Amino acid sequence: MSEQTPQTPIPDDDVLAAEYVLGLLDGDDWQAAKARCAVDGSFAQLVQAWEARLAPLNELYENADAPDLMPQIEAQLFPAPQQRSRKSWLWGLLSGTAVAAAIGVAILVFVPAAPPTGPVLQAELVATDRELVLQARFDVAATELRVTLRGQDAGADLDYELWVIDETEVPRSLGVVRAAELALPAELAQGQVLAISLEPAGGSPTGLPTGDVLAVAELSES
Amino acid sequence: MIGQKGLTIVADDIALLLNRITRQDKNALRALYNQAAPKLMGILMRMLGNRPDAEDALQDVMIKIWNRAAAFDPEKGTGMGWICAVTRNHALDCLRASRPARLRTTPSGGYSADDHDDPIARLPDPTPGAEEQSLARMEMLRVVACIKELPEDRATAVQGAYLQGLSYQELASRFDVPLNTMRTWLRRALISLKECLEK
Repeated sequence: MSEQTPQTPIPDDDVLAAEYVLGLLDGDDWQAAKARCAVDGSFAQLVQAWEARLAPLNELYENADAPDLMPQIEAQLFPAPQQRSRKSWLWGLLSGTAVAAAIGVAILVFVPAAPPTGPVLQAELVATDRELVLQARFDVAATELRVTLRGQDAGADLDYELWVIDETEVPRSLGVVRAAELALPAELAQGQVLAISLEPAGGSPTGLPTGDVLAVAELSES
Repeated sequence: MIGQKGLTIVADDIALLLNRITRQDKNALRALYNQAAPKLMGILMRMLGNRPDAEDALQDVMIKIWNRAAAFDPEKGTGMGWICAVTRNHALDCLRASRPARLRTTPSGGYSADDHDDPIARLPDPTPGAEEQSLARMEMLRVVACIKELPEDRATAVQGAYLQGLSYQELASRFDVPLNTMRTWLRRALISLKECLEK
């Protein structure tokens, strides 16, 4: 390590995409690349290109016996209606990208604040080029997310949209953020990632981020 | 079939099933399982190194495929390539979430972080033999030929990363070189590999 090796150059996005696809990254680097892949369309395209480039190597994996796991898979995906919690209903609605386009984006409005009493998860999203700071505080007990937004307006015919990315890696819209302060009911957990993107007025027309992702931050306990 | 547009038109069964899955067709999910489960299980067994973890992971992978089928873009690759990528990614998630310097039992009962098997030695030779050369096999041999153009240790490292999910850290200890050296080696190797594949 002490030998006179030139400093490791910072890899460009294409090399980073290759490292991500091969599985070379560890820990925070892996998490960061994964989060970026979910919200940054141009990076996701580089990743897709590497996946396609290396896909022929999948021939080298030998087939293995797989028992019929479909009953368990179907039980998880399509639980009997009476067993569905509010959460799984919400998941069903939000997780299919095909139906996401049809979902209207909630326009978030100001709600008066009450101080949280239990654990709080926080994330601060900072977009330096816009001097934009979005602070998110999630009250776990009240399942309520409070957001404060400071900085430039989104601009004419544009809106800021807030997203959460969980282990499914599909960004889920939390809504368009217009007010400086607001509160909304949400189901969030530690380790999930919040992202803010610039979208056409009223929010992404596709149900997934379409504009520039301005900032990303992980929810962690305060 | 990237780079081979117009040369071959092969019915992409998995792509058709993924398209039906975006329309919430449950039968298509079952058909996809029947067709692809042995391949996906093969990937998970190789990467996770044991059957119970692989079977758990296969359930999670099928759920991801159901939820994310709309993200599949047939312009960017085959349906099978896409579901294999989802599977590899999930396996990497499992590996990265568990122990950083893991010892995985291999199907042969040894420990993959310690064994000295040489994946490159087991790579098929890219000379066409008497056996049937399917398109998939030909494409695989093309990528393998490019990997074999790399210095041997780097070729082995690229293989280990792709097939087993070995990280920079794990490869550095396996090859007994500093982490930064391994990074520099492989970043250069990846650039050469891309150039070769795009020739």
